[in-house]
Amino acid sequence: MPENRKKLISLLIGHISIAVIHEILIGSTENKEIADHYKKEMENAINLSKKYRVKTNPKNSSFRNKDSKYIKSQIINRVKLECNVKSKGYRKLFFSSISP
Amino acid sequence: MDQVYIPKIRNGMPAGSYVVIRPLNLELKKQAPILYNIKELEPVKIGLIEQIFSVIDSKTETENIIITGSFLEKGFNFNDIDVIIIAETQSRGIEKEIKEKTKIETHVIFFDNQLFIKALKTDPIYRLMLSKCISRKRLTPLPEKKLNYRYLDAQLIKSKSLILSFDYIDGKEKYKLTRNLMAIHLFVKNKTLSIDNIEKGIKKQLGIGIEDLKNNLTDNNFLRKYKTFYNGLEGEIIKNAGKQEKAD
Repeated sequence: MPENRKKLISLLIGHISIAVIHEILIGSTENKEIADHYKKEMENAINLSKKYRVKTNPKNSSFRNKDSKYIKSQIINRVKLECNVKSKGYRKLFFSSISP
Repeated sequence: MDQVYIPKIRNGMPAGSYVVIRPLNLELKKQAPILYNIKELEPVKIGLIEQIFSVIDSKTETENIIITGSFLEKGFNFNDIDVIIIAETQSRGIEKEIKEKTKIETHVIFFDNQLFIKALKTDPIYRLMLSKCISRKRLTPLPEKKLNYRYLDAQLIKSKSLILSFDYIDGKEKYKLTRNLMAIHLFVKNKTLSIDNIEKGIKKQLGIGIEDLKNNLTDNNFLRKYKTFYNGLEGEIIKNAGKQEKAD
């Protein structure tokens, strides 16, 4: 993987993971204000992910199967790790709802 | 003929001098912007601030206007101007109009008075913003802080980006994320929030000078310290958030 592509994919993984973590956190609180804050952060992370995706080759078609698998597994690992940390304090973290 | 009385003992205006008499309400004394913790500011910036105040005044009725952020640092190394408008109603198009008049990007945040007080109680970043700012009217003292751990955890996640994208983000972004982390730490530890305290904290806890951080002269040693510090603070906040939620 060329250096620049590697960098873009790493940033893409980072931001998608943050978006997914926030999606899970939204479901873990009944406080509307905090849920809105999570939603805002999730939208920011999605927009940043989109920004990096359109720069990453192949720009106009899907990733190769190998790349898709790698990205998906990285995102799942990061989100699982974060959920493990958060579950020490929060109940209702439904990681299973996003993990196929 | 009407008469105007003035004290006999006075400074200036000797007998026989010509004076102008005009109604007081036509020209109220223009109040100069109030500076908080700013030792000096380039005159051109003061001019810009007055221009911003006047654009906002022409668009909406405000309770106060606060200018904060990197614009108030010495020199001209800022990206945009952060403006907080305290008003009962939000007005559209202010950012665009300020940009047209000043040719500088602005980032405007609207608050009504109550929401602003609430933000100051729970959010370390807004408290930090007021530690160095310029306002149109005098600010009231900061309200007593309230620790909402779940909210602080939500704010803290932003700083995780530094760990996730360490090799790919620039020094300015690293400084911003580190500042966010340290502001939350000082808030939780009941310390005064100011840029000085934050920068001292960064140096003490993470062993890096601010200029090195801003210039992206960071190495794995810094990243290791940052991770340890972040994880420690996150653990403490989550533990307390759990307790707080149980109690509620």
